[in-house]
Amino acid sequence: MEYVNPLTGFRVDGRRPNEMRQLKGEVGVVARADGSALFEMGNTRVIAAVYGPREIQNRGQQVNSNEALVRCEYRMAEFSTGDRRRKPKGDRRSTEISLVIRQTMEASILTHLMPRSQIDIFVQVLQADGGTRSACINAATLALADAGIPMRDIVTSCSAGYLCSTPLLDLNYIEDSAGGPDVTVGILTKMDKVTLLQMDAKLPMDTFENVMELAIEGCKAIATYIREVLLENTKRLECQRG
Amino acid sequence: MVALSEGEKHFIRGGIEQDIRTDGRRRLQFRALSVETGVIPQANGSARVRLGGTEIITSVKAELGKPSILHPDQGKVSIFVDCSPTAEPMFEGRGSEELSAELSVALQRCLLGGKSGAGAAIDLSSLIVVEGKVCWDLYIDGLVISSDGNLLDALAAAIKVALSDTGIPKVNVSLSAASDEEPEVDVSDEEFLQFDTSSVPVIITLTKVGRHYIIDATSEEESQMSSAVSVSVNRHGQICGLTKRGGAGLDPSVIFDMISVAKHVSQQFMSLLDSEIAAAEAEAAE
Amino acid sequence: MKGLHLSLNQTQRVRLDTALQELQSLAPAAASAAAVTVADTIPVNQEDNILKGHGTVDQDGEVVATLCGVVERVNKLVYVRTLQARYKPEVGDIIVGRVIEIAPKRWRLEINFSQDAVLMLSSMNLPDGIQRRRTAVDELNMRGIFVENDVICAEVRGFQHDGSLHLQARSEKYGKLERGQLLTVPPYLVKRKKQHFHHLMQYNVDLILGCNGFIWVGEHVVVGEKTKTTGDQQKSSTEAENFTPLETRKHICRLANAVRVLSALGFTLTVELIIETAEASASSNVEINDMLGAEFYVQTAEREAKRRADLLRKKNGAR
Repeated sequence: MEYVNPLTGFRVDGRRPNEMRQLKGEVGVVARADGSALFEMGNTRVIAAVYGPREIQNRGQQVNSNEALVRCEYRMAEFSTGDRRRKPKGDRRSTEISLVIRQTMEASILTHLMPRSQIDIFVQVLQADGGTRSACINAATLALADAGIPMRDIVTSCSAGYLCSTPLLDLNYIEDSAGGPDVTVGILTKMDKVTLLQMDAKLPMDTFENVMELAIEGCKAIATYIREVLLENTKRLECQRG
Repeated sequence: MVALSEGEKHFIRGGIEQDIRTDGRRRLQFRALSVETGVIPQANGSARVRLGGTEIITSVKAELGKPSILHPDQGKVSIFVDCSPTAEPMFEGRGSEELSAELSVALQRCLLGGKSGAGAAIDLSSLIVVEGKVCWDLYIDGLVISSDGNLLDALAAAIKVALSDTGIPKVNVSLSAASDEEPEVDVSDEEFLQFDTSSVPVIITLTKVGRHYIIDATSEEESQMSSAVSVSVNRHGQICGLTKRGGAGLDPSVIFDMISVAKHVSQQFMSLLDSEIAAAEAEAAE
Repeated sequence: MKGLHLSLNQTQRVRLDTALQELQSLAPAAASAAAVTVADTIPVNQEDNILKGHGTVDQDGEVVATLCGVVERVNKLVYVRTLQARYKPEVGDIIVGRVIEIAPKRWRLEINFSQDAVLMLSSMNLPDGIQRRRTAVDELNMRGIFVENDVICAEVRGFQHDGSLHLQARSEKYGKLERGQLLTVPPYLVKRKKQHFHHLMQYNVDLILGCNGFIWVGEHVVVGEKTKTTGDQQKSSTEAENFTPLETRKHICRLANAVRVLSALGFTLTVELIIETAEASASSNVEINDMLGAEFYVQTAEREAKRRADLLRKKNGAR
């Protein structure tokens, strides 16, 4: 299958190799939560809700009482993928992604400012079209900022792959299932540090560097967008406050 | 789910008694309803319904499958409900299993009719492609994004809206197949058959607090209920299903009264829902 | 807007956008310019010894924001004032909370903070009003004063050295709140003022604006009756006659809906604004329930835009 048209250079959905899908972010979508956000990357749609910081519910889970406990759960809706999934929660992939999101966000949240409390991050995937992991992390960043939880930096994530000898940014589901490598990167944008790096399949070293650089570029672009959304929201709230 | 003090509970009971609830509604008044269709493009039909603070997203997916041996002339429909932890922290992990199962079963009972398939809201024989061999399997999935009481009514309304948005692809069957072989089917990408939802009922849940019944209870009011009766009524005023949940026993005459109240309210709700669906489809067409 | 998802028709949407645009233009430009998000650098003069306050952190010699909000500078202190966030307690704040747990010699209350607050038995007036040492009998009778899920108003006493937040409810005006409804709004909409208890005589309603975002609207209770023991409340036979009178209930619901609409629009809650909104709905014959509808929502936005424009004009005219 031709993932990159050799004549025009376009991909299956009409994008250029280094072009990201359409981004859309919105905060305050779940009224009951302390912070919430909806994030879309093309057809991938994810809702994140943050409850906290609040009193620890289960003392047994608390590891360090000088820091806040961060918990995360990732769930996919049954209708989120093309073929209907019968067991959308509790399976190994969901558990792994919950862990990944938790560790990525923990790196950024200033947990020592909220001792003896817990922060719950719930991520619900409404539509999955590749890059769900990244969309979840981006949505979680927006939701945490909306909840007023102090963070070191804005964490964003993006994926990139290598098909038909071309590095491709932000893979969709068709490109992801093509069997080529899939590199997911999460960075602390201002501090320019990588906090998440996952890859499957195999790549020669120098190609890997190119693909990772491309993913980092994507992360930075997303960070600019997220920053705009948050700034816009802050200005709007301040103006309406009176 | 909601913790209330004695004083607040007393206030809520008084409000229901005096016909002014905490948000000013009358006993038989619904909260603001808003409807959107086509929210999940990859499904055959989908809807998002907001009833006050409760928000539901439903999707309808149609896949080709084999009809059951007992009913070779009918397709299959299954309904599943999931409560997302974004609505309530206690829905995380397995916390929502009980509630999801209860809601799924109640919806199946109201919408799918008896064991023989009789009286189902959806005409199952319209889902058959090749008798005995190929039929459509409809999977209806409901997701609770935000929960503020009256989940059952909101889910039923969302399913009705999603079904009205559903298009089943036309299937061309190659006639040359032998009788005991799997026939070849060609699923059209272009032509769709819209679903006929005129016989899909709505569910009205009546919550009894003190001497009176209210509809569309918020989660605070639900915590006050002595019992609740959910009645499923279709367009012709026929009752398609009935569930009673909640501890206190009810006098049979009270139940008859509640059913007639439900019938009356359901007609209003159904016409409201129809106009919202029409408005949503008009907007989607723009 | 959080809380109210309304379907507005075309004209209503246009009117709402116009009103919101006007509010935006009326807001002082300095506030918008000082808005920051996470990881933004805050411009500071490096020579002054700037104190880095709440919401800021020192990264490589630069002052970086850790929250989204507006930068405030007071003398040498630079901090970020958050908008959407959990409650940040200060000593002396009047708050409304809900009892979660009864523990030895104390009650634990939920107050929209990152931890539960503690109300010691010794910080609470005893029902008989006598000032004396708390005995073991008093400890066993704690349930007689407050039970789980009770709504209480109290004052923030301070943080203890173990980091927990302590409250006190020694004055007559603090205590259990009954016969009304509790609303939750974002804490930044409640400004700290001299008066948080408002007895609205024309309605016979108590309105308490807790600094933690919990707002109580209820029937007026004479000060001093708040610490009655729950034993008196057991008379269920007289309950039917004991409901709040209809007129008062209507006022309570109108005020509560006014609070809901104002918090959905994101306007700072002051008693004057709440009363004005409730009166406007009554005078234009809006049904109590319709106050949560699209039309009243848009009207409230327009009214507020006009009010702020008038205020600004008066201020500029007075110069």
